[in-house]
Amino acid sequence: MHSGQEKAGRSRDDIAKAIRELTPAELIRLKKVAGYYAAGRPIWSTDLLQEAFTRAIDGRVCPVHVTVVKFLAEAMRSIAHGEGEKVENRLVLVSAGASSEVARQADAYPDHGLNAEQRMVSDESVVEMRKAILGLFADDDIGQIIAEGMMDGLEGEELRELCGLDATGYNSKRRLVRRRIDNAYPEGWKL
Amino acid sequence: MTGKKHKAQNALNRLAAALVDDILCTSDADILAEFRAAGGDPDRHAAEMRTLFERSVVAANKSKMLAAKAGAARARSATTPSPVPIDIAKARQLLRVILDRPAAQASLTMAAREESELSDADILGLLEDLRVLGVLPSGDGNSGTT
Repeated sequence: MHSGQEKAGRSRDDIAKAIRELTPAELIRLKKVAGYYAAGRPIWSTDLLQEAFTRAIDGRVCPVHVTVVKFLAEAMRSIAHGEGEKVENRLVLVSAGASSEVARQADAYPDHGLNAEQRMVSDESVVEMRKAILGLFADDDIGQIIAEGMMDGLEGEELRELCGLDATGYNSKRRLVRRRIDNAYPEGWKL
Repeated sequence: MTGKKHKAQNALNRLAAALVDDILCTSDADILAEFRAAGGDPDRHAAEMRTLFERSVVAANKSKMLAAKAGAARARSATTPSPVPIDIAKARQLLRVILDRPAAQASLTMAAREESELSDADILGLLEDLRVLGVLPSGDGNSGTT
């Protein structure tokens, strides 16, 4: 393909047409992607998907060589990341009398705890969720290695070697890991 | 965010990204089989997703329409001259000058010539009429000159 064509974006109508023509399997993929990216973030998966649809037909450039599913998945990643950042940067005012712990922190002002730790999502819930997901594979060492490797950002080949599996075995095992997480958190994990 | 939480959050984000990669690579047949195994109906789900998309299209169109309306309103307010305060005494003086011209005396009715008996609104209306007729130069509604 000519480089100029590769850079060209689809028109709004082309994107809308492509989305309307997505197969049931592709639409399930999108739903699942929305669930993963919304997991642990202050946005519902349906809202995330709808926002991605809106951005897709409202000006975001979709290169012609990128599938609409991947394009929407990337849009959801970007939106979800933005929502997470919003929460992290939000200043939360807390009543000093709300609990003894808050009162203690207020007494110790200026304690950074008052603006950083009193957020919607507590440290414990994030750490506990990580543990809980790994706990799903308490009876499956390879599954736990794969889940932990994914959390550590290990790439496929590296992780496959760590598991001592061939390509087929690794792909199959990775799929089982995903299914087990899906079964445990069908709507995505919530913090 | 503390280091411990940050680390755990990043771990969950990376896990989500890895699961997305996996779902994007999974075959259609496996996707459909998994969905059915979980009690889902792919066709019904597809219909729901398409409805969601059409709602997004409507929302995007509404948003565009609102933006266009706002833009048009801004353009209108930028081109419409703001009302200029009118000095009615000068307006009456200007009308008097015009009415005192011999040509005006001959062509205007007695009522129109009696400037002192006209209301402020009548004065302004007459000046506007004269401007339209070309008797009064454009923009000279308040200067007292012709």
